Amino acid sequence: MVVGLGLSSAEKSYIAGGIAVDLRGDGRGRHHFRDFSIDTSIIPQANGSARLRLGGTDVIASVKAELCAPPPGRPHHGKLEINVECSPTAAPEFEGRGGEELSMDLSRALQRSFLGGASGAGAAIDLASLVVLEGKLCWMLYFDGLVLSSDGNLLDALSIAMKAALSNCGLPKVEITSGTNPEDDADFELNEEEFTPVDTSRFPVIVTLTKVGKHYIVDATAEEESQMTAAVSVAVNKKGSICGLTKRGGTGLDPSVLLDMISVAKRVSQTLITSIDAEISAAESRHDDQ
Amino acid sequence: MDFISPEGLRLDGRRPFELRQLHAEIGVLDNADGSATFEMGNTKVIAVVYGPREVQNRSQQQLDHALVRCEYSMATFSTGDRRRRGKGDRRGTELSLVIRQTMEAAILTNLLPRSQIDIFVQVLQADGGTRACCINAAALALADAGIPMRDLVASCSAGYLNSTPLLDLNYLEDSGGGPDLTVALFSKLDKVTLLQMDAKVPLDVFEKVMNLASEGAKAVTQFLREILMENTKKLAFAKEPLKV
Repeated sequence: MVVGLGLSSAEKSYIAGGIAVDLRGDGRGRHHFRDFSIDTSIIPQANGSARLRLGGTDVIASVKAELCAPPPGRPHHGKLEINVECSPTAAPEFEGRGGEELSMDLSRALQRSFLGGASGAGAAIDLASLVVLEGKLCWMLYFDGLVLSSDGNLLDALSIAMKAALSNCGLPKVEITSGTNPEDDADFELNEEEFTPVDTSRFPVIVTLTKVGKHYIVDATAEEESQMTAAVSVAVNKKGSICGLTKRGGTGLDPSVLLDMISVAKRVSQTLITSIDAEISAAESRHDDQ
Repeated sequence: MDFISPEGLRLDGRRPFELRQLHAEIGVLDNADGSATFEMGNTKVIAVVYGPREVQNRSQQQLDHALVRCEYSMATFSTGDRRRRGKGDRRGTELSLVIRQTMEAAILTNLLPRSQIDIFVQVLQADGGTRACCINAAALALADAGIPMRDLVASCSAGYLNSTPLLDLNYLEDSGGGPDLTVALFSKLDKVTLLQMDAKVPLDVFEKVMNLASEGAKAVTQFLREILMENTKKLAFAKEPLKV
């Protein structure tokens, strides 16, 4: 994804050779994630926010909530919107419109995994829980991701950051003052003292498997990504259901390999979700102490 | 609207001549040549420097001095109400230019001919005074990248509301309708390098506000120096054990 790494052919064969013997440049095995750290509540103006550092990759995610009318034809649903921006701080190539293509690519992959199709049935959040007054008022959640620094595996990093931002998110309590009749417009007051958390148990994480040579690896660095032939990103939730799939890269994949990759992604995701949950609660308790 | 209470305190509890809480960190991103975050109260900016490096676009190459470039961007979540700012809106372009000119004046560009220095400023949170905050963050990032500078440049804003000069306006005060004056200083050389103001004021008021902003910028310089010194000490300490 990142151009101009300037790897020599010796470095390239070192990367490929290391992956072949299950010992990568930074000492990890093929299916090991890098250590990561999460900070929450870093943007006080947002309802929820988190910063994730995964090796040299650094992303911020924020959730902002706005009240609006439910989508036409679906009075029992709230709305979600997901957007990602790549800041030029990550790489000088992202200057001007340079980051737009990658931003769009990442946004689309996240939307595919979190929005759950046109009906919203498989969405990352129970959309019905966002309804305030049926048919009239619902929450619209804006997920914004910002890539500050990039050292590979941006998609997985963004999905983790968004999960953390959502568990940090509190929706202010809405008190309906009038408009409970079907004809009237709703009048409401926001109670900025009381917040209700959003249920994140359904929220999936994305695990990207990057194929380098004959093998595939988890959580590739920028150097490893530059050597990839294909990559499959699988969104998996806590129950182990697949919530979204994206295949990237120029080379075709054997269907049997693809199924194998998905099962590996599923296995990796379960340990990953446990460690994410632990990191999030550690970050939250750190924040409460302050 | 009253911006100053009868007790003489501002909306956020500061006195008129008081700066917001300053916070800075150097070397926040690993893969850049220089990086820094700078916070003034709730305004938070991250600045990153790439370079000096080879000029990317050959036609822009300067034979006798370095090419300095700057891009300013605002995160979608940085403002109170969420809004998408397309790249290259007028305000952003103007700010990029202002930051570039201010930093260009500080950098000893003649020492780095045929090279390019990129400064990227990303606003993470906007609560008034982004202009000043961006310049302070960029100055720290340039120092972190080890780029030779004439003097440390520091910036601060000031305004005039309820017949009182106020230092370092926040967003509410900034939208209060009074003048908003931003000044950037080389404190050792005692030279003003940036001066912007957007409203009509009598000359004597201007002088008061200008003096206040300059004092603020000097205080910021002091703070920047402390942060740089701390960082240098940390680096020196890290280097020490290597000596056998």
